Amino acid sequence: MRSLSSLFANSSSLLWRASLRHLGRHPWQMALSILGIALGVAVVVAVDLANESARRAFDHSMQTVTGQATHQIVAGPMGLDEQLYVILRRSGRLPVSAPVVEGYLAYGKQTLRLLGVDPFAESRFRNLLSHVPVKTEEGLLKRLLTQPGAVVMSRERMEAFGLSVGQPFELWHSGQRRQAVLAGYFEPPAEQRAVLRDLLLADISTAQELLGQVGRLSRIDLILSDVDAENLDAINSLLPAGSRLIPAASRGLAMQEMTRAFSVNLTAMSLLALVVGLFLIYNTLSFSVLQRRELMGQLRVLGATRADLFRLVLGEGLLIGSLGTLLGLLLGILLAQELVQLVTQTINDLYFVLTVRELSLTPMGIIKGLLLGVGGSLLAVLVPASEAALSPPRSVQNRSGVEQGARKLLQPFAWSGIALLIAAAVLLQLSDSLLFGFIALFVLILGFSLLTPMWVSLICRYSAPLFGRLFGSPGRMAVGGVQASLSRTGVAIAALSIAVATTVGVGVMVGSFRVSVQQWLESSLQADIFISPDAPSGTGYEAALTPAVLQIIERLPEVAGIRQSRPVEIQSGDEIVHLTALRLAAESYAGMQFLEGTPDTVWPLFDREQAVIISEPYAYHHGLHAGDTLELETNQGRQPFKIAGVFRDYETEQGVVKMRMPLYQYYWGDKSVYSTWLYLQPGVDVDAVLAKLHRLVGDQQALRIHASKTLREASIKTFDRTFAITHVLRLLVIGVAFVGILSALMALQLEKARELAVLRAMGFTPRQVWGLVTAQTGFMGLISGLLALPLGLVLAAVLIFVVNRRAFGWSMDVVVPGMVLLDAVLLALIAALLAGLYPAWRMSQTAPAQALREE
Amino acid sequence: MENDCSNAFIRLNSLTRIYLQGEREQRVLDGVCGEIQRGETVALLGRSGCGKSTLLNLIGGIDQPDGGDIFINGTCINQMDEHGRTLFRRRHIGFIYQFFNLIPTLTVMENLLLPLELNGYDLAEGRCRCMTLLEQVGLSQREESYPDQLSGGEQQRVAVARALVHRPAVVLADEPTGNLDLESGQQVLDLLDQLVRDEQCTLIMVTHSQAVAARADRVFNLRQGQFVASEDVVW
Repeated sequence: MRSLSSLFANSSSLLWRASLRHLGRHPWQMALSILGIALGVAVVVAVDLANESARRAFDHSMQTVTGQATHQIVAGPMGLDEQLYVILRRSGRLPVSAPVVEGYLAYGKQTLRLLGVDPFAESRFRNLLSHVPVKTEEGLLKRLLTQPGAVVMSRERMEAFGLSVGQPFELWHSGQRRQAVLAGYFEPPAEQRAVLRDLLLADISTAQELLGQVGRLSRIDLILSDVDAENLDAINSLLPAGSRLIPAASRGLAMQEMTRAFSVNLTAMSLLALVVGLFLIYNTLSFSVLQRRELMGQLRVLGATRADLFRLVLGEGLLIGSLGTLLGLLLGILLAQELVQLVTQTINDLYFVLTVRELSLTPMGIIKGLLLGVGGSLLAVLVPASEAALSPPRSVQNRSGVEQGARKLLQPFAWSGIALLIAAAVLLQLSDSLLFGFIALFVLILGFSLLTPMWVSLICRYSAPLFGRLFGSPGRMAVGGVQASLSRTGVAIAALSIAVATTVGVGVMVGSFRVSVQQWLESSLQADIFISPDAPSGTGYEAALTPAVLQIIERLPEVAGIRQSRPVEIQSGDEIVHLTALRLAAESYAGMQFLEGTPDTVWPLFDREQAVIISEPYAYHHGLHAGDTLELETNQGRQPFKIAGVFRDYETEQGVVKMRMPLYQYYWGDKSVYSTWLYLQPGVDVDAVLAKLHRLVGDQQALRIHASKTLREASIKTFDRTFAITHVLRLLVIGVAFVGILSALMALQLEKARELAVLRAMGFTPRQVWGLVTAQTGFMGLISGLLALPLGLVLAAVLIFVVNRRAFGWSMDVVVPGMVLLDAVLLALIAALLAGLYPAWRMSQTAPAQALREE
Repeated sequence: MENDCSNAFIRLNSLTRIYLQGEREQRVLDGVCGEIQRGETVALLGRSGCGKSTLLNLIGGIDQPDGGDIFINGTCINQMDEHGRTLFRRRHIGFIYQFFNLIPTLTVMENLLLPLELNGYDLAEGRCRCMTLLEQVGLSQREESYPDQLSGGEQQRVAVARALVHRPAVVLADEPTGNLDLESGQQVLDLLDQLVRDEQCTLIMVTHSQAVAARADRVFNLRQGQFVASEDVVW
């Protein structure tokens, strides 16, 4: 294939000049196209930057905490017995090792990560204490080792909290107050500042006390030489049951995998915005070529070759695409500043603690945006460029030839559209992959767009008599005008209907999801009161209710039943499994909706056997069903658990495994309880019990005590926050489409200046001309809205049954709110009417004689 | 490629052109034969829709016949591929249309320069040639004007200059005065006459006006897809 430079090398400079001046004479058309592509690129770049920033922040965070460690010894939720470290060191098999205690604390509303280390073993792994300024170093080691609660924090946090070295202060863990003393501060280098900003350092024993893990370690970090790495079996043989040796990177990879589906979906939405933007370029340049068809014919008569015209239009597309891409990159960086906050909030809400303070602007991110914008523009302009190249010289004489040609293409386009729809259906069946799902989505959209001109033609044919009866000649003319300019109106209507369909599809999907989540919350949150420690978002797995609080709760006479749970993350193989231990009350059994198994078959197994129940996403992602066996790493080695049933659940898209609490305690030795649900006696006032609980347990531990109703509302708020990004992207897609339809309709109407001038010359008043233009654009908007509905519903079905299913593993009930459909039609209508305002005004103001001049 | 052995500069050999209108065939040209000598001025006369413009398009290579051949200076142009015809047209043919068809986003000078640039001429030298022609058509003061700033007669004069700027062998004019008033039309025809003879071009002019046709060396009458003798034409 010839390079771009050689493609343009032989072009006539006067042809370019003519072309650029044409673009310059239609500045608004060009500006709207540039804006359209800029918005599309901006959304893609912003999402990519936000995702990349989150990923890098996570990587930096993991690298900082993991340091030079090549391997780690880990265990279940209770961690390792600290004696294991002593035994391993004494064995001489692990010369380079360091114990680590890790967890989260809160200072006010700020979450801080505590890293407890052995200062003597630490330097080969992380060497974080090297960031302590020399002038404050004296005595620091002694303070860390001997002073209870001694911690080191970043200088930035120290100043933000208004603390000074030596000052005692309060931290919170699992709702309990902890006393700490600031032993010193560190000033990391610029590239590590963001990661270490919220880090606290302490001696191992201090960290154990602050985190309530006395006698336990979170892990043991190792640096293994190549020789040692070959003897992993020998090292594993030293480890007790329930603990194992893993590569240091594996936990980070497993955690990153948790957010993969979220990132993929976000990227897909952004690509949809770009596709709409590229459609606009195609739209605009198609119009531009059509507008200049006679001119193209003239140039062919003068001896310009097809290749000359192809290069000309390609160059225009490249110019518009390049300008739009550059603007889009700038807008994208600005948008990313806001988007990264939303992404971070969602990750914190749903996955783990992550702090992203800065945008990671990487050359690759910028290059990706450039390639997508410019490359996509070139792709979008191929068809108009080919149309220009095929402009017959005879078109200089034949003004009606264009539409005749367009009408001849109706059937081939329609058949191609049907073929693409079939291809989309085949793609969906061909593979279970998410990528195929998205490709099928885009093929579906393309197929629909090819069918649009045929639908428009049919609707016009059958609407004309009706509009004639209702509105007389102007009504018939409005409809007839759409039919007569099908080569233009078809493209404009397709672009608008696709954009509106996207909002319908996403709207129905989000709406269905919301209803399903609400129903799930109502069935699963049937207890009256929920109690858990007041722990920072994303750190719940470390928190537990104190035995004193549990005792108080159990003694309440108003309580009829108590349900307890302990959610933990366990590393089983290469994945992190969300495991929840449950102690069910009699009332709890009814709250679960089983997709495989029935309550009569599931609960007896669950209560009496070595069995678990798994959520729908877990079953989907792992290809498991009721009756299968699931193996999990426990403190007593790898154990099989029978799957008693599969239940509907929207807690997490990685899926959840649930087992009865005694079984969990037996295998993992963890007797703590994270949350408690209270079922009250009939007739008991919930608010009175809430007040009583606050009174009784207020001093024991900082807790979240909520009526279930409040919790359901909070959960829905979290859900809405999660989809805030989707709504933002949806609005941007609508914005991009509106720009497109505005550009297209304005071009269309201004092209009809002569025709409208003839009507004025015949006696049409400016008001009647206004009415005619408005009626035509409104009719186009109405068609767009109506055509958007079936496509939107099909898109919704693909999003719900394919994309969501394959990405997250859950199913949902489809709910089609009438308002979403009505809104879609109104959106299309209003967009079109707004787009017609300027041309209508301009046409009504133009003197007929001026418009009737031949050139 | 077939070569023509006759002496005629332009030879039309049983030219046929058929248009489809729905299911119906319309034979616009039905075995047209004719010869035109180099430097001759020929008028094509006939009623509206008789195929005059079609014949012009075929000779200009912007349309293809359904039967027969067209030879220009011995070269059979209808056997060339599309690219070949374009290059031939670029070099050897000049067009003048009823509705001027100037490039609206190029100035008068640039409109004249365009055929030269397409033919690979040096534009600095080309400017001299263009100025000479502009002076001849009386528009040397308007070189920087755009077409929409000119009157109809002025535009057509520019079109005439553009058609001749690259010294084509053949000029094809389709109702060159059809959109002009009498005086402007006469002016344009006088210019065309003079320039064509100065450049020794062969001019084929479509017209429905007897008065315009009278200026030509010969008149071809087109009726029912065939050339007929002048005395057989009934107006």
